[in-house]
Amino acid sequence: MRKIVSLLVLVLLFISSTVNAQVKSNEKLVYAGSYNMSGLMTQLAQITMSTNTMTTSKNSYLHLSCELATYGKWDKFFKIRDLYESYVNPATLMPSLYKRSVDEGGWLKKEKYVIKGTVVNCTSQRKNNPEIKTTFSIGASTQDVVSMLYKVRTVDFSKMTVGQTKSFTIVFDEVQVPVVIKFMGAETVNAGNLGEKKCYKISIDAKTNVLKGKDKNLIWLTADENKIPALMKFSIPVGTGQLTLTSATGI
Amino acid sequence: MRKLFLVLAFIFIILGGIFVFLPLDTIALAPLVIGLVFSILAFLKSDEVQKKTVKILMIVGVLAGVAIIGKHFLTKDEVQVDEQFEKTKIDSEKEAQKTLEEDLD
Repeated sequence: MRKIVSLLVLVLLFISSTVNAQVKSNEKLVYAGSYNMSGLMTQLAQITMSTNTMTTSKNSYLHLSCELATYGKWDKFFKIRDLYESYVNPATLMPSLYKRSVDEGGWLKKEKYVIKGTVVNCTSQRKNNPEIKTTFSIGASTQDVVSMLYKVRTVDFSKMTVGQTKSFTIVFDEVQVPVVIKFMGAETVNAGNLGEKKCYKISIDAKTNVLKGKDKNLIWLTADENKIPALMKFSIPVGTGQLTLTSATGI
Repeated sequence: MRKLFLVLAFIFIILGGIFVFLPLDTIALAPLVIGLVFSILAFLKSDEVQKKTVKILMIVGVLAGVAIIGKHFLTKDEVQVDEQFEKTKIDSEKEAQKTLEEDLD
């Protein structure tokens, strides 16, 4: 169960390119995460993606936050409270700091990446074990999973042809993972409080065993200047699920 | 064979009935469906007198199924206020501010 719900977040995060004009501060997107149980899509958790500005004495960062919380009825059975955060350059969406705090049915993990160019100073801790500090290198364009999701919204899909792909690299669990997104055309889908919206349909392929099937992991981004993720469908080794947008504010 | 089908149908339908009261949502339908399949098989193997018991079992199974589906559609999905998680978020943001000031500025 922990894996299934975590994957809801990961799928949400496996996405992706140029100068940011779409992602604004104080944006809040709320999703209902569902998993196919006994043939019926069952809502398990709420995923909230929000942005706000953080100012330090010398710089201003865009704080991208993605949190996952199981619905009350599931909490006694399997409570999950996950928090994924990225502090990025507001113009380029390149990350300086990535944080992950996972609490999945009592399984705890904290992770922090301080990113200086291509060098990552990582601090991680599992449960009450001592902190482990490591340093590793990443590519100049490698991003964390949270900032990647926002960066995909900067891609100009209106200029892409059906079947055209774009490659990215993300870093997750200290490993760089190549991600390819494929433009699959346009479709109209329900986008919560935004109503029916024409969306760009994108297929996500990551070189990982987390996602399964060809063109079975999909995301629909609204075909407007905001490119809000309206619907996401995923296929994993143990089943299928989806994230549906229920509320979008501050866009 | 009829007895085996009947026993299995009974076990799975009772299990599904218990699941109605647990926060298992539509997962609870799985044992009920299996139970109903076994009860249909038992029904087909039964004579007219024996069919009455199987019918009762099937009615219980169907009612439990209706309860599960009703619960699924009528229960509102809400995230409970979690003060610990709220504190985690505030602490995380404070720590991030400190890291950004000290390590990156």
